[in-house]
Amino acid sequence: MLSSVPESDTVIVADLEAGIGTLTRLPEASVQSTLVVVEPTPRSIDVGLRAALVATERNQGHVTIVANKIANQDDDTRVRNAFADHDVVTVPEDRVMITADRRGSSPIDVDPEAPAVTAISDIATQIVRSGIQNAK
Amino acid sequence: MKIAVVGKGGSGKTSVSGVLARSLARSGHSVVGLDCDTNPNLGLSLGVGDLETERLLSLRDQIDEGEQEHAHTWDGILEAYGTDSPDGVRLTVVNRIDNPEPD
Repeated sequence: MLSSVPESDTVIVADLEAGIGTLTRLPEASVQSTLVVVEPTPRSIDVGLRAALVATERNQGHVTIVANKIANQDDDTRVRNAFADHDVVTVPEDRVMITADRRGSSPIDVDPEAPAVTAISDIATQIVRSGIQNAK
Repeated sequence: MKIAVVGKGGSGKTSVSGVLARSLARSGHSVVGLDCDTNPNLGLSLGVGDLETERLLSLRDQIDEGEQEHAHTWDGILEAYGTDSPDGVRLTVVNRIDNPEPD
């Protein structure tokens, strides 16, 4: 479906199904940016590596690794070492995510100044800035 | 611009998607959240609440089962099967276009 959505000034954020199923079925060059979200666990990193490979091979825009739920330097290093050939951005482990999940709310409504929320906001700014530059 | 968010289940991709979309909207962008997950929860991460998230999921199920006619254009989908989230993010959980009209 993403490939048939007309190009416009609107930013479309597509939350794909868990795993890499949708990504493997997506026609080439359907998106301008792919975010691969990984936790610092072996299984999550493994899925992330396959997702990053498919996204790169199928030309799904710039691939950014979002190292999520990072609690310490070891977590950060583990993800960065696994994705040495990619841009890696970090979102810290933050209780706001658990609180939002339990309330059925958005983290940005629970605490817009929470470290995880501000980290994701920074990622949003970077993506759009790079997307606009690539379009020129 | 189209952004795909992928990852293993439980990685937090839906929370990242929701905050990303809301942040982009707060910085002045027109934003659509497209929930392609078989277990769609983007509505919760966008802040539309349980009931509206369930309503959209029910609509998608009805379309998939042929009980509702599918919209034939992207704008039609957003109009008929979307909802407004806080900060103006338009959310839809319908994940395909049948017989899209030519440009």
